[in-house]
Amino acid sequence: MQTVPARAMIAAMNAVKVAQPFISRWGLWLMRVWIAWAVLVQITPAGPRAPLDAPQTVQTVHPVVCVHTRLIDEVYEWVIQRSLQMVREMGADTIVEFFPWAYAEPAPGQYNWEGFDRIAKHARNQGLHVIARMGFVPAWARPKETERQTTLNYLPDESIDEFARFVAAFAARYAGVMDQIIIWNEPNLSFEWGYQQVDPAGYARLLKAVYAPAHTANPAVMILGAPLAPTLEPSGSPNGLDDLLYLEALYQAGADPYFDALAMHTYGFTEPPEAPPGPQTLNFRRAELLHNIMLRYDRPDKPVYITETGWNDHPRWTKAVRPSLRVAYTIQAFEWAEQEWSWVDKLCVWAFRYPAATRSYPDNFTLVTPDLQRKPIYSAIQAYARGWERSTDLWLPAPIAP
Amino acid sequence: MATRPYRAVAAALLLGLTLWVWALVGALFALRWNSIERPNPPLRALFPYGEMRIGVDASYPPFAAAGNDGLYGLDIDLGTILAAQLGAPVRFVNMGYDGLYDSLKADQVDVLISALLIDYSRTDEVFYSIPYYNAGLTLVVPSDSPIHGMSDLSGLSLAYEFGSDADLQARQWLRRITPFTPRPYELPTLALDAARIGDSSAALVDATSARLYLRQHQDWNTSLIPTSDALYALAVRTDHGLTLEALNRELEKLLGDGTVAALIAKWL
Repeated sequence: MQTVPARAMIAAMNAVKVAQPFISRWGLWLMRVWIAWAVLVQITPAGPRAPLDAPQTVQTVHPVVCVHTRLIDEVYEWVIQRSLQMVREMGADTIVEFFPWAYAEPAPGQYNWEGFDRIAKHARNQGLHVIARMGFVPAWARPKETERQTTLNYLPDESIDEFARFVAAFAARYAGVMDQIIIWNEPNLSFEWGYQQVDPAGYARLLKAVYAPAHTANPAVMILGAPLAPTLEPSGSPNGLDDLLYLEALYQAGADPYFDALAMHTYGFTEPPEAPPGPQTLNFRRAELLHNIMLRYDRPDKPVYITETGWNDHPRWTKAVRPSLRVAYTIQAFEWAEQEWSWVDKLCVWAFRYPAATRSYPDNFTLVTPDLQRKPIYSAIQAYARGWERSTDLWLPAPIAP
Repeated sequence: MATRPYRAVAAALLLGLTLWVWALVGALFALRWNSIERPNPPLRALFPYGEMRIGVDASYPPFAAAGNDGLYGLDIDLGTILAAQLGAPVRFVNMGYDGLYDSLKADQVDVLISALLIDYSRTDEVFYSIPYYNAGLTLVVPSDSPIHGMSDLSGLSLAYEFGSDADLQARQWLRRITPFTPRPYELPTLALDAARIGDSSAALVDATSARLYLRQHQDWNTSLIPTSDALYALAVRTDHGLTLEALNRELEKLLGDGTVAALIAKWL
């Protein structure tokens, strides 16, 4: 039996023999090279494709489980699809994903939704809800570089309405698919606020500008106030502002009518989830202090989405724990949120996977490696979310010398 | 007509010979050029502020840590020796790991010596020196063990820390070879205990954990078999090529004369 490329090669060689009397020697060589090239191209394997499967549903007994993905910078569509399959198989029914304005509106009013669409379609195919986070200002909406050096997080006042128009266009396009939209990320950090002094009143203006156009575009949309970075930076610090102080100032600036829910970031660092909170302590239950501020200023039933949480198990980072503790603390955190925090809708672990390794401690926040290998914490969350019997012997007892 | 092929062959041979001679001359010149001892450039050309400012995250013993008497560790010793060889006063700037590269970019420091893994995605903004330590994963086996690599583990058992990089690598190998018995433990030291007392055929841990453990168990005769690389190097900004060249030259000397090996033996 001959393979198809072998048969093609033999046919081509016969064709050369037939043509030989009519073509010069150099012409024959050129013909042979061309045929060889054509045959080699044919035997190049095709790139992997990502055809949609039959629509799936998520099997979970703990719907609080959610994960923050990093898919927008992924090159291959099949990796996006496989990542979302793995999220579904893990038992998380919701993801948080970043949708940068700069990627979708390269020129004013000219939209390119291709990158967003492929995430939306695969998420829907896997039966996943998507909470969309918005940010990243395109170059055309920032001052010219000759006037001022800016970053992607710098939103000048004169571009706020442009951003609001973009959010409305997004809300209209993805109505029914992505109905929860987070406006900005950690605006209490100078870095996230374009290296300007952080400004709760300025962020309140941004929320106000976005709120009505987004609701007009999609009446079912839910605007989420940005999650704040857990930090103890004092007032006046060039780096940022304590998240508790910032949230209080945001309410005092009159922001409460302009967000339907609040997103939060809360990390455990080296403490277990049940460790008590305090104004000068950064730990998992710091979310309770933020919620107490909400209760003072806002309606009591305003929902909270914790869109980033988790522990890190890097061997050198001083804010990390051992991998075994990371697994234990993460599962205990889900249990704590379900039992103690009725006001929390979702608890989303940062992060499912990075598109490429950072070769530093952030890699140890992920649940799977860039090449999609599951870490033990993935399996532990999966067992919890799916209601499977959880293994109590993830590791062996300490060996004892005979 | 009959002489044509010979002419072509002769021409090709002549061209080949010419290229070969030029390559030989070039190689001899390069050898001679590199063997010339040249003084380092003036201090200000290497370190514009007149001192070698070293960025370090002193929260990672035994490479760098902070004590009552100041900073100490392998990286601190290495930086001090390098500065002395270059004739520069030294100043260590202690900061968090997150801020190391930013401080280099912002010209707050001249060089980073902080157990830095070579990160190829950063090579557009920093130059890395030649590596001075390999912290990659290593198999630890008794010195009389028949195991000489991961592929020899078939049918045997392997101890490692649950959830660590060793865990990931062990599970990758389980898909490649005839299965071995995986034996996860809560800590790398427990995995090494298991290999030492014979509960496991081998332990897979990072090189630093292995060395620190073996300091405490000097009576255990072992072989260390590296299975992956995690290379530590110095980093400078890409516009400081002269500094990199000088640091590489001195580092090469320290690697050659056993100074770096002695530092590793002192701290690990």
